[in-house]
Amino acid sequence: MISTSVRDEFRSIVGNEWFLDTPEDLATYSYDGFLPEFRPDAVIVPGNTDEISKVMGVANRERVNIIPRGAGTNITGNSVARKGGIILAFHRMNKILEIDPENMCAVVQPGVVNADLQKEVARYGLMYPPDPASMFVSTIGGNVALNAGGPRGVKYGATKDYLLGLEVVLPSGEVIRTGGKTFKNVSGYDLTRLLCGSEGTLGIFTEIIVRLVPLAPAKVTLQAIFSDLDDAAKTVPAIIGSGIVPTTLELIDRVVLDVIRDYGGAAFSKEAEALLLIEVDGEEVSVEAQGERIEKFCREKGAIEVQRATSPEEADKLWQARRGAFGAIARVRPNCVVDDATVPVKRLPDIIRKILELADKYRLKIGVLAHAGDGNLHPCIMTDLRDKDEMARIDKAMLEMYEATLAMGGTLSGEHGIGIAKDRFMPMQFTEAALELMRGIKRVFDPNNILNPGSFL
Amino acid sequence: MIPKSIAEEFDQCIKCGLCQATCPVCKELLLEKFTPRGKIQLARYYSQGDLNLSDHYRDIFAKCLLCGACVATCPSGLDPKKVFVGMREEIAKEKGLHPKMEEVVRSLVVHHNISNEDNAERGGWRDFLKELPDHMYQKDKAEVAYFVGCVASFFPMAQQIPQNLVRILESADVDFTILGGEEWCCGFPLIGAGVPEMVREMAEHNLEKLRKLGAKTVVFSCPSCYRTWQEHYETDVELLHSTQLIERLIEDGALRLGEVKATVTYHDPCDLGRNGGVYDAPRKLLKSIPGLTLVELENNRAQSVCCGGGGNLEMVDSGLTGSIAQKKIEEIKRTGAETVVTSCQQCIRTIKGWARRQKADLTVCEITELVLRAISND
Repeated sequence: MISTSVRDEFRSIVGNEWFLDTPEDLATYSYDGFLPEFRPDAVIVPGNTDEISKVMGVANRERVNIIPRGAGTNITGNSVARKGGIILAFHRMNKILEIDPENMCAVVQPGVVNADLQKEVARYGLMYPPDPASMFVSTIGGNVALNAGGPRGVKYGATKDYLLGLEVVLPSGEVIRTGGKTFKNVSGYDLTRLLCGSEGTLGIFTEIIVRLVPLAPAKVTLQAIFSDLDDAAKTVPAIIGSGIVPTTLELIDRVVLDVIRDYGGAAFSKEAEALLLIEVDGEEVSVEAQGERIEKFCREKGAIEVQRATSPEEADKLWQARRGAFGAIARVRPNCVVDDATVPVKRLPDIIRKILELADKYRLKIGVLAHAGDGNLHPCIMTDLRDKDEMARIDKAMLEMYEATLAMGGTLSGEHGIGIAKDRFMPMQFTEAALELMRGIKRVFDPNNILNPGSFL
Repeated sequence: MIPKSIAEEFDQCIKCGLCQATCPVCKELLLEKFTPRGKIQLARYYSQGDLNLSDHYRDIFAKCLLCGACVATCPSGLDPKKVFVGMREEIAKEKGLHPKMEEVVRSLVVHHNISNEDNAERGGWRDFLKELPDHMYQKDKAEVAYFVGCVASFFPMAQQIPQNLVRILESADVDFTILGGEEWCCGFPLIGAGVPEMVREMAEHNLEKLRKLGAKTVVFSCPSCYRTWQEHYETDVELLHSTQLIERLIEDGALRLGEVKATVTYHDPCDLGRNGGVYDAPRKLLKSIPGLTLVELENNRAQSVCCGGGGNLEMVDSGLTGSIAQKKIEEIKRTGAETVVTSCQQCIRTIKGWARRQKADLTVCEITELVLRAISND
């Protein structure tokens, strides 16, 4: 509980209007895209770094938990008050401070929406590559906190590859700067990278410098349909291994294709067991040649149908199935658990086979979507939280899937983060010594454990 | 108690938050409670007995345009609008009418129109027309009944719409009539005010009058009247928005259009486009005017952004309507077109009104005005 005098202190920092503690406000900051809900004690909507610094000073002194929150779209329970406390919401800090084309970078506040930044920099012929599915609402602050990826990750990588520097408020209220506008920067420990993906546990980002790249002038989009899922999965490492780096290489399995059809989307050939959506970008001449080679590969590997878009409209049509996939899946049952276990790309066929086997063994409806090109799976388990028996089976299936993933040299999470969704599995991936090192880092940054406590540590 | 059909909607919400991308209200008000996701969860908390209906609840649910952008965006295919209308109803039942909506509801009960005037004045817009026929467009029998709607009947800024439309119908020799003082409000504002049970009385009256006229078609210049009839009136009579009827008249050769040299953009009214499913008729109509160039808005058809005038919002928070309208005006200006055309009197009022206040250099034109100009140029 936060005392009245401490509440008043917070109010005096941000103003009455931006300290919220009505039942309606607390209720609407009790959830994010994950399942469990926790009602916070208050919500603060700060306007600048100075206010945040002061808020942290009081919070640290009074041992009040602070949980940073962007758009609340994460699906690992990272922006909820798991141990009570105050939600720090960045709605007002949503300005693009600078676009610097000569230095190929931009400086933004944490509450800037990813797609808004994309749109702005495109006017300079530039691109900010990380493109999580939530990009039309999720914020850059949240993207950095979770080191978000996206379909373009195969070629362009994830948020950490485009993060140059940060202004950070520490739990003590002190403000530090890490990195800067230079691409090369090896002075001291790489605090920027350490903070990226720290899931709101180490510091609060108040200014973010991101790297931009030139917008590719041309792209080619292909769709290949396979009558054997294994053939499709094997095509993926074959393409990657051939020296072509696609921008996007997505896989959709039969279960998902059927769901898309059932919910008013495209209908595919009866024999379709899997679909690959492949995109390459670059100079026109080179993407044309790559497109041809990829088409040939797909046919050699047994594709029964390959379509190559010849116009942006056609490309858009090919994307429709992938774009509509999650929505269609979400309609099947009341809840949907989306995982993001990730394996080295060569093991893709093996892990997909394993997932199908688990769906069968535990009688679950699992659709497989994958950012296949980087081995990043999104098995979607269509379920109903109220079915206790099924939830228990899901737990068992997940455990076995992670065992298999890790045995193949993979990781628990490719791009969603750990949060409270997978915290219990961390000892499977890390030794106690490694985990203790992480806890030690947390103690150095946040000795009183007030920043997003109850997380993966 | 929240009806089961509404509970089904919020039970399906996976809290992904993607609805925030297109909601014009939450983009202005920022806080989670104003997002469609937030409102859906508040409906759920209320229905579970977690939270009580409060004045704060009423304020939150009043701040919604009922524009349906969230419906078009939701990946789970929910109809959040159904939840929001249901909650307004629940709040009105439990806590009484929203104070800012009391007056309009009273006016509807007493006068059967929204403007607190004697309903006999409904045909007042005819006074400004030259060369009125003897029947003054009000006949005992006709093929087509024109349902003018409250705003176009009573608000000077919108009266041009019926004035234009009757001229167009005349020049195409359509056998039509208006209902005059016998026309009652369609009931649309009552749905937004949370008292939809009162719509029935309006519907019964209007349908009875329609039967007497023997009309086979009802034409509406107001998209919200059009949609209210579609959704809440039990009738087999053909219902058409004016753009659909005009497009048909052009196709049948009953209307001939001359050249209008202009570059225009088209704003899809929420109740005609996204909520009514009519996107093509106004576009075909515009494209059939020689010399006219249509440039699409960045967000068009199902992605069209509300002008700010929907959902009774202006009655509750005109400042919020203003900031949403401003964004609409900016989007229009980005097209480079000198004129924005739309097909709804409420959009005209909102866009024109705020453009004027902001001294924006923009011509706002209802589609019938353009058609009439094209006819005169033939």
